[in-house]
Amino acid sequence: MFAIRSTRSRVILQIVLTIIVVPFLLPLIAMVSGSLAGEGWGNYTTVLSVPELPLFFRNSAIIAAATIAIVYAVTMAGAFGFSKLHVRAKELYFWMLLATLTLPEAVLLAPLFATATALNIYNTYWAVILPMAALQVPFAVLLARNFMNGIPDELLAAARIDGAGSVKIFWYIMLPLTKPIGAAIVVFTLIGAWNDYLLPLVFLVDPTTQTITQLPQFFVGEFNQDQTKVLASAVITAIPEIVAYLCLQRSFERGLTAGALR
Amino acid sequence: MTIASAPARRRAGKRGGLDRPAATGHRRSGFRPAGYAWILPALVLSVGLIYYSIGYTGYISTLSWNGTSPDPTQVGLHNFTQLFSDHVFWLAAQHTIISFVATFVIQTVLGVVLAVMLHSRPWAGVLYKIVLFVPVVLAPAITAPVFRQIFAANGPLNALLQHVGLGAIAVPWLAQPGTSLMAIIAISIWQWTGMTFILYYAAMGQIDPEVLEAAELDGAGNVRKLVSIVWPSLRGTTIALLTLSAIGSLKTFDIPWLVTVGGPDYSTEFFGTMIYRQSIILSQVGYGAAISVMVILLALVMGVAINVRPWRSRAAAGAS
Amino acid sequence: MVRSLCIRNALRLATVVAAGTLTATALAACGSSTPAQVGSATSGNITWWGWTPQTNVGQQYIAAFNKQYPNIKVTYKQVATASYDAAIKPALASSVGPDVFDMAPGGGIGSVQLYSGSAVDLAPVVKAKVGPNWKSDIAPIGLKGLTVNGKVDALSVGSTYAGSIWINPGLFSKAGVTPPKTLDQWISDCKTFASKGITCFEQGAGDNGFNQDMLHAIADSIHPGLWSEAVAGKAKWTNPDLVKAMTVFKSMFSDGIFQKGALGVQQYPDVNNDFLAGKTAMVMMGTWYMQYSTADGAAAAVSAAGVSGAKPFPMVAIPFPSITSANNPAPLFGDADYGVAVNVKSKQQKAAETFVTWLGTNAKAQQVVADSLNDISSLKSVAPDWSSIKVVDQSTQEAALKTLIASTSNVSEARLGDVGTALGQAIGDALQAVGTGQQTPSAAMAQLQSSSGQ
Repeated sequence: MFAIRSTRSRVILQIVLTIIVVPFLLPLIAMVSGSLAGEGWGNYTTVLSVPELPLFFRNSAIIAAATIAIVYAVTMAGAFGFSKLHVRAKELYFWMLLATLTLPEAVLLAPLFATATALNIYNTYWAVILPMAALQVPFAVLLARNFMNGIPDELLAAARIDGAGSVKIFWYIMLPLTKPIGAAIVVFTLIGAWNDYLLPLVFLVDPTTQTITQLPQFFVGEFNQDQTKVLASAVITAIPEIVAYLCLQRSFERGLTAGALR
Repeated sequence: MTIASAPARRRAGKRGGLDRPAATGHRRSGFRPAGYAWILPALVLSVGLIYYSIGYTGYISTLSWNGTSPDPTQVGLHNFTQLFSDHVFWLAAQHTIISFVATFVIQTVLGVVLAVMLHSRPWAGVLYKIVLFVPVVLAPAITAPVFRQIFAANGPLNALLQHVGLGAIAVPWLAQPGTSLMAIIAISIWQWTGMTFILYYAAMGQIDPEVLEAAELDGAGNVRKLVSIVWPSLRGTTIALLTLSAIGSLKTFDIPWLVTVGGPDYSTEFFGTMIYRQSIILSQVGYGAAISVMVILLALVMGVAINVRPWRSRAAAGAS
Repeated sequence: MVRSLCIRNALRLATVVAAGTLTATALAACGSSTPAQVGSATSGNITWWGWTPQTNVGQQYIAAFNKQYPNIKVTYKQVATASYDAAIKPALASSVGPDVFDMAPGGGIGSVQLYSGSAVDLAPVVKAKVGPNWKSDIAPIGLKGLTVNGKVDALSVGSTYAGSIWINPGLFSKAGVTPPKTLDQWISDCKTFASKGITCFEQGAGDNGFNQDMLHAIADSIHPGLWSEAVAGKAKWTNPDLVKAMTVFKSMFSDGIFQKGALGVQQYPDVNNDFLAGKTAMVMMGTWYMQYSTADGAAAAVSAAGVSGAKPFPMVAIPFPSITSANNPAPLFGDADYGVAVNVKSKQQKAAETFVTWLGTNAKAQQVVADSLNDISSLKSVAPDWSSIKVVDQSTQEAALKTLIASTSNVSEARLGDVGTALGQAIGDALQAVGTGQQTPSAAMAQLQSSSGQ
């Protein structure tokens, strides 16, 4: 973005960047060293040898994948509608959508429970996937709509002149151009779904459907808490999210509007 | 597009900033097909699923109930009058405002600065991005005890402060009202700056590099480019983050609850912790619901205030 | 034209809200309550939710249970202590909740007062299974806390008692100090420890539960029994002896007993880990700490506290130091650690009752409980099988443990059982206000008296 011509400027940039980032790094170092205390790498082997671990992993992956798919599809469509298309009273609908963000999760448990049992999805993955998606969508729509506002209307106009309908415009123009924010939404939805503790706890009773957030539970009792293994399980749980971010982060970098107009 | 429908569109556009041709200074070309079907899935999913919860919460805020007994008592607006005379409620309000302003300002500054720097291709940029990203991913339940160690009276933070000669401020951070809130704010910033960074980074990716090159050819330095080209184009993202930050501050629960349990002596109490304490711990579910209703109303007020048209039309102008 | 558009728009708005809300509400109304199915007493699949015991210990109990009742399959789900109430509330309110669930005395986690309505009265059940004199073999303290208005809501699985101090004898001999028997000796001991760079005592003062234990023990030492009277409303919290107890609590922050920054520290895991890692010489913990007396338990715990090459040390409990010169031995106080209850909406009620009765009254079950040294058995007749328990240092610990357990058999004072949620919160608030210096002890006790509404 900025032309860094001289080596001196490059060095200054690196130093300033490092100084800012170090305070973020130090607590992470404390956590990793905490996870290696006591038995050292033995903590990791103990956590990895919990027999239910692959099962938890699989269940979390299923829930996360479904949530991401639903959120991405619904959000992109919704943001397209709010940003580029004509909807009467769209602000009102938009605010209705945002209002759903305001309730803390603990307060939602009781009514969601009633809804889940009424819809007969209790003790199924849907009881977790649907509320999770519902809670992520407003946030994602806010971000995606904002991003789409930045895509010039001329592009769409040009496409319409060429005879494209809304669906084609959405598929061939909006989706590719919103890759950066789409990637961000995928990452944040993954985090939200992967880390959620309360919803799987309450709505999934069957031990074969437990998620990876239940992993620390094996090391926490009423009167004792094995901090070392809890930290090790936190590190292990975080790895897939970091990997996903790394894979997607290249998508954050494109600025494509210029090329598209030509 | 016919001329006859233009006035109708302009009237309808009063409700939507971008619909107005006047806002962007040039005539819109192309028609705008109906988008109702596109937004319907989002509305049905979120509104449908969650609004029952909102309605339910609104209803039980008029009850005095413990959440399980079969016959709750109807008390009308009594919970709300009790709320306004509850000093803990006002403390929570105070802490929410302070936390919101502090975290938003600092996170925005850090997010923008970091995004700009990391867009300039420094060495080992990926490592920095990972370090910023990991805090967003870690569960507060697990990071809380670690932060209690870090902020402990004889913990590493104070050791560091004493080492660099700032021993005077090496206080027991979490044991005193005042500094406890500062510590909670610091932990929140640690956790969420990564998200701000990612969003600004993505938004900056939308900036046309040719515009920056042209500015350079005209003799603009880096700072000039930042202030006149980059920052204005981030306005939309900033408004979005402001809205989310406002709502997030109202809901703040994890960090103050898990690190200090809203204490000591309610010095880190937030609306989120108060709701949890009342609903789950004290089983005053009706009172907790009343606080939730207040939170929803405050969120809507703040959201509308942030997103009123003067801001948005400027954002629209900046974005195009 | 605009008006008709507005109407159309209003209709669309209504559709969206109606679609979601009315459907859900209607469906909820349609969900009729099925008649209670009770199932068989010797076979069935039941679920058990609890914040304790730990999953592997729970499996041990279930395995022992299955030796006697092989056809009842029990699935235990351990729910984190912090999330138990948030999770169990909606579960119990629904028709698909657990068949067996944990309850505890008092107003804290799994409060018996709160969930009493969801529990089956176990008195007639146990009477039918065990005999009319079933209560005579059960330690009364375990029964008292889990009985509400004559209804036995849960059967105690074991009891815990607080009011003792656990010490690290190694650190004491390193500093050349003897365990304190009085408050003055406690203060001077701490000065000696400080001069040697050893932390004397740690309190998780951010944790109201353990602050309450501390205040309770101080009050019991000054004026035995007064605390329980105040809790019951028979004495005022502004009683001079209780104000004195609060003043002593406050002074512990300044006279070197509590560590610096105690208000920002939680008992679990912070203080617990520090003690197990050998960083502090004393902590105030209860009989549940006995589990760390065993060689295996101690080694695992020390390693869990983050010490590599963990070497367990023989920890010992001492009585609470006397606060006044009257040398009142502060008694222990305690109640059931937790009990198991049967959900009134359970579809396998009889099988659930079999399991609950077994866990609470069967000698074999209680032997497993007693041997883990976590809880003290709810049956009077059951004691730990010392021949099978290997402690770290037989010479110092076994006798001390036996004394500790023996001293619990005459305990009549409840720890949490008589303190309701609101009172517990008010006591905690008073302790925090005094600890931070926002209120003086007498002002705090006056406020406590007025908010206790008695």
